[in-house]
Amino acid sequence: MATRTITLCYRKIIDAASTKPWEKLVFEDTYAEFRMQAQLYNQEKKFTTFAELIQHVSGAEQLHFLVSAAAIGYLQQLNEIIPDVVNNLGKHFLRFTKFQFEIINSDLSDKSRHQVAVNFYSEPLFWHETIDNYLLVSDRPATGEEVATNLFQIQPYLTIHTLHTEP
Amino acid sequence: MERKGFLKSLLVGAVTTPVVLMSCTKAESNIVPTEGTTGSVTNPGTSSSTCAVVPSETVGPFPTKSPASFVRSDITDGRNGYKMTAKITIGNTNNGCAALPGAIVDIWHCDATGNYSEYGGGGIQSTNLQAVHFLRGRQVTDGHGLVTFTTIFPGWYPGRSTHIHVHIFNANGTSLKVTQIAFPEGAGTAVALVNGYSKGLKGYTTNARDNVFTNDGGVNQIATVSGNTTDGFELSIKMNVAA
Repeated sequence: MATRTITLCYRKIIDAASTKPWEKLVFEDTYAEFRMQAQLYNQEKKFTTFAELIQHVSGAEQLHFLVSAAAIGYLQQLNEIIPDVVNNLGKHFLRFTKFQFEIINSDLSDKSRHQVAVNFYSEPLFWHETIDNYLLVSDRPATGEEVATNLFQIQPYLTIHTLHTEP
Repeated sequence: MERKGFLKSLLVGAVTTPVVLMSCTKAESNIVPTEGTTGSVTNPGTSSSTCAVVPSETVGPFPTKSPASFVRSDITDGRNGYKMTAKITIGNTNNGCAALPGAIVDIWHCDATGNYSEYGGGGIQSTNLQAVHFLRGRQVTDGHGLVTFTTIFPGWYPGRSTHIHVHIFNANGTSLKVTQIAFPEGAGTAVALVNGYSKGLKGYTTNARDNVFTNDGGVNQIATVSGNTTDGFELSIKMNVAA
């Protein structure tokens, strides 16, 4: 049987409706950083929204990168565990070392329109079976000795990011 | 287990199991596009519309307030180059150019080969790399209006003379000035000593021909730079802003 290795991507949206302490800290600090960094691309104060800056100011797409600095400390506090996504026992099981931060929307004059996302890219998983709506995966290949597995469901904002098949 | 308790647990199982199954068949929800446009979106992180088990774990880790990764004095991040200490003093033109305490000063510059930290083409970044923001830093001026950064002597790239970008904010984060620091050039200067690292200075753009510094030949923005390639360099400059 072919060995399938996958990585998952979980896109976590953080906005004014977010309620958990971690999310609120990321929301507040990335908005403050956006307001600081946006001034670099808005020296005549012509624009108020992120969308306007992206459309009219060359180089403004750097804001994703610049504002990400405000989120990095919080990402490190996660101890490389992807939040929210749990296995069928209700436990977090996905590990990450790679992420991408993005600004979705923001507005210098309206904090409630600030919305960012963190894309978490999981470490590789061996995908053994699909049982009903669940994927059976493990961190190590299941050849030879037995391995611990996780059973989980693909859900909104979670996707298979890469697939590698070996015969 | 007592018989009564055992029966009770069976009953609980019998009741809860179908509920789980039913919700799985019904609660299919489409994802609302979350793109850089206007409109409302759902929040998946706290949403209960997804048909998956909710976390059942010990609470934690407990988030603590964390400053932006720019906030540090040593911005080297393992970049190779001659050590350079940059001392920038901010003065207030609205107060006779007296020292401005509490101002936020961001600096950033390129590495020895002329590259900045920024998102590459692929876009996936590694978290354990603080180095993702290499050679970028933020400090708040002390009572003497001074901030100090430890970094490397910048390299250069075509079209520009050696420079450091500076963004000065007041304590509230309101931008006061976006500017750049130029370096003395010619025989005996640090620029000549460093000699463009491995690149040399062939094709180097002088301050006089630099588009950014051209307006005044950079005379108001040229730092004092001393030192040598063995012990490192020290840069100092006073920059005045209206605060």
